[in-house]
Amino acid sequence: MKAYLNTMGNPWRVFDELMNEFPYELLNRAWRSRAGLYPRVNVWENEKGLAVEAEVAGVDPDKLDVAVDANVLTIKGEKEQADGTRGEFQRSFNLPFELESENITAAVKNGMLTVSIPRKAAEKRKITIAKQ
Amino acid sequence: MSLIKTPEHEVQKVSRLEVTPASRVEESGEAFTLTVELPGVGEKDIELTLENRTLSITAENTVQNFNGHTLVLTEIPEVRYRTAFDLPERVDTTGIQAASRNGLLILTLPKREEVKPRRIAIAAG
Repeated sequence: MKAYLNTMGNPWRVFDELMNEFPYELLNRAWRSRAGLYPRVNVWENEKGLAVEAEVAGVDPDKLDVAVDANVLTIKGEKEQADGTRGEFQRSFNLPFELESENITAAVKNGMLTVSIPRKAAEKRKITIAKQ
Repeated sequence: MSLIKTPEHEVQKVSRLEVTPASRVEESGEAFTLTVELPGVGEKDIELTLENRTLSITAENTVQNFNGHTLVLTEIPEVRYRTAFDLPERVDTTGIQAASRNGLLILTLPKREEVKPRRIAIAAG
């Protein structure tokens, strides 16, 4: 996990870096096969939410698990590997925004998992500053 | 070097990268089972041909385009899967069966009768 050193200067720079640099891999515990991280994904987003397409050929759709916890999306399951052994995989994505845990749609077709997750609506809170 | 001049206004489509799909073969007494991973490929998009004893598989995957969204991470490219297998003599090529399920192409390659394991009866004597 990368640590960002917030030295002097613009304190918000840390957040800019997180946003621009490709924040989706900050937390990643994955089953490492020779092919690298599994499953491979394409990730799209807009202001309403996230769309993820993952390659899951050979994975039993009943054992495929998609979970959302605050801003972390986790895909896990079991796959029979090329050498016949059964492997468990898990891949997590740490996102720069929070996700809804309701209204998630997920479907598998032709070995491709498509997940749509709406963003949590931004809560606007007024912060009161106590007088000293 | 091509002598054909491409008109400038013609958009050239980038041709797909050809990749060899992951595959494995399992053997039983009756047949070989060949499993080829073709994620993003539907049954109708698989080109499966047999020429003499060479089995060829070609397929192009479909990668989704989410309208109104920005692409932020791309690990799955559009590819052309291509592979070929020279089937051994033990395979009865006339009995090959193919099925597609959830991105997997499963081929059953039956063995010729004479190579299937047989029990040999031992006469009492």
